[in-house]
Amino acid sequence: MMGPTIALLMFPAAILSVLIGYPVAFTLAGISLIFACIGYFLGVFDPSLLTALPVRYFGIMTNEVLVAVPLFVFMGVMLERSKISEELLTTMSELLGGIRGGLGVSVIIVGALIAASTGIVGATVVTMGLLSLPVMTKAGYSPSLSSGTICASGTLGQIIPPSTVLIFMAEILQGANQKAQLEMGNFSPEPLSVGQLFAGAMIPGLILVGLYIAWVITIAIIIPEACPPVNLSKRQKSELPRKIVFALFPPLLLIVLVLGSILTGLATPTESASVGAIGAMFLAGIKNKLSLKNLREVMRSTLLINSMVFIILLGASVFSLVFRGLNGEEMVYELLSNVPGGKEGALLVVMLTVFFLGFFLDTFEIIFITIPIAAPVLIRLGIDPIYLGVLIGMNLQTSFLTPPFGFSLFYLRGVANKILKTVEIYKGVLPFVALQILGIIIVFNFPSIATWLPDILFGNNFEISSSNLIEDINNKNDEDIGILDNFRNLFNTNYDRSVSPLDKFKNIFD
Amino acid sequence: MTDILLPIIEKITKKIDLINSKIGNLISWLTLGCVINCFVVVILRYVFSVGFPWMQELYVWQHSIIFLGGAGFTFLHNSHVNVDIIYSKFRLKTKCYVDIFGTLFFLFPWIIIIAYSSSSFIKSSWRIYEPSSQTNGMPGLFLLKSMIWFFCLIIFLQGLSLIGKRVLALFNFSKKDLNNNLLYSSED
Repeated sequence: MMGPTIALLMFPAAILSVLIGYPVAFTLAGISLIFACIGYFLGVFDPSLLTALPVRYFGIMTNEVLVAVPLFVFMGVMLERSKISEELLTTMSELLGGIRGGLGVSVIIVGALIAASTGIVGATVVTMGLLSLPVMTKAGYSPSLSSGTICASGTLGQIIPPSTVLIFMAEILQGANQKAQLEMGNFSPEPLSVGQLFAGAMIPGLILVGLYIAWVITIAIIIPEACPPVNLSKRQKSELPRKIVFALFPPLLLIVLVLGSILTGLATPTESASVGAIGAMFLAGIKNKLSLKNLREVMRSTLLINSMVFIILLGASVFSLVFRGLNGEEMVYELLSNVPGGKEGALLVVMLTVFFLGFFLDTFEIIFITIPIAAPVLIRLGIDPIYLGVLIGMNLQTSFLTPPFGFSLFYLRGVANKILKTVEIYKGVLPFVALQILGIIIVFNFPSIATWLPDILFGNNFEISSSNLIEDINNKNDEDIGILDNFRNLFNTNYDRSVSPLDKFKNIFD
Repeated sequence: MTDILLPIIEKITKKIDLINSKIGNLISWLTLGCVINCFVVVILRYVFSVGFPWMQELYVWQHSIIFLGGAGFTFLHNSHVNVDIIYSKFRLKTKCYVDIFGTLFFLFPWIIIIAYSSSSFIKSSWRIYEPSSQTNGMPGLFLLKSMIWFFCLIIFLQGLSLIGKRVLALFNFSKKDLNNNLLYSSED
């Protein structure tokens, strides 16, 4: 019992140590190793388990599906740096701005379109805040409505495909599903692909966008002075048709093509992402913005974002490795399967935990440490993995919006310190938090909203991702037994050899 | 004592920052390489219906070089996210202690464990000059596996540089703002 208890203590310890402000990736790895040491001295942790680390890392390094992440980031940064996103927003707001509340609606739509590609809440909120806030303020929007709209739209990137968050989520859920199915005696589980999760998130994402827009329209009807129409100058009016053709249509087409090719199963996410990145460069080229200086900036940002995210993955995999080594998983299974209310009760507990963690950690840290631990248990209890992924995505969005800790609020305050009062931001996001909760309740009660589209598009035995990943890991297993044996001798420990620890680590994300 | 040591520390941190800065600028080109490589694979596959396994591996490999090789550069630019709700309110001295503590007790143990535990993984690969396990795959898988060590090396160096800078700040040797990890503009 000692091991699992120590394992559960890892969560508060991780939160507390992350709060001191050292980079999260390193802190997660370091604190986990400290727990591994404690476990070793108490005789409940086998240090040879740590030799599984290089194998896991190598699995991440050679994972083809995850290459989609830098490619989508490249596309997103390219669209942003070449001011294509900005013009998309201004054109959209000129198009809709003439109507009461139209500006708010355009912020939501563009947020949904451009937020997805980087998946980093902070970056999106900052961009949207810098671009839209001055326009909305000038148009006479109430500060609370504009800040709420911007913060909420910034979080849409978590859930609207092609979200990088969903790419990681799909890979982790695939591992979790595999493991859960094996434990239930199903030796050839159907693989879960990124495309399926994208399809699953599509309708819930659109429901949220619909709810947001409905809210802005409601405000426009009830309190017209909160979101007045924008008066376009004559010149703006005459230029609008041209702008629609050149600034609105091309990026829209690009995003639709990329997403469409993934959802229809025509191409893998990685392939589509590379086409998207080339397409973004092409659009930038047409606008004469593909200078060497811009290109270098895009490459640099891509490198920084990508390295940041993947190093968190490396750090967080130490966490899940040590957590498992301390037998924390059995404890989680015990706890979750004894929650009153059956699988829904267990799901609710996980959702609340994720929500709470959202106050302290960013998306990637949360999904890297909680899903590998909680998802196998929930899937074993009968929760559909796609449904689970979609709910967690929506949940994280809500968490980032909730005052006083919500991430996006901090970022908006950073951008708009002088224009907005904190209270106004809080007041502004509250209705959106309510809409989020409404959205979650809808999906929670009707799982088919998330599972219907993937079933239609991919059927039941579709397969694009991950099978080669598992092959890779299996290939590596032979040689690793040798290393493990060396390590056993080195540490001179007497552990049960009949069960190879590697059996537990077949998949990097387990 | 400090009169002799501090300039040496400053020199070393400057050198490390310069190295990682160069590496980062070089590796950032691989993001473009990755995009083009993958796009070529797509064109070959969907337009000409041909595929080369080595080419498909090449962009995956480039990606692992990007995130592992660029980690030091990312550290240099303070882009490994931290939670600064409390950190931002610390006094300068406390910030320095947090960074030194974190590097010594979180970062370095991790690096040491990775470097140590991957040694036979990498060495056995070198012994046979392991190629990719795919037919017609890339040669030199041992080099890719060695990227794990390269990662350890550059992130260790950047950790040293961070400690160096914080020590300098504690001794009032440098008065630059801590929010910018780049004490010296070694960029470009």
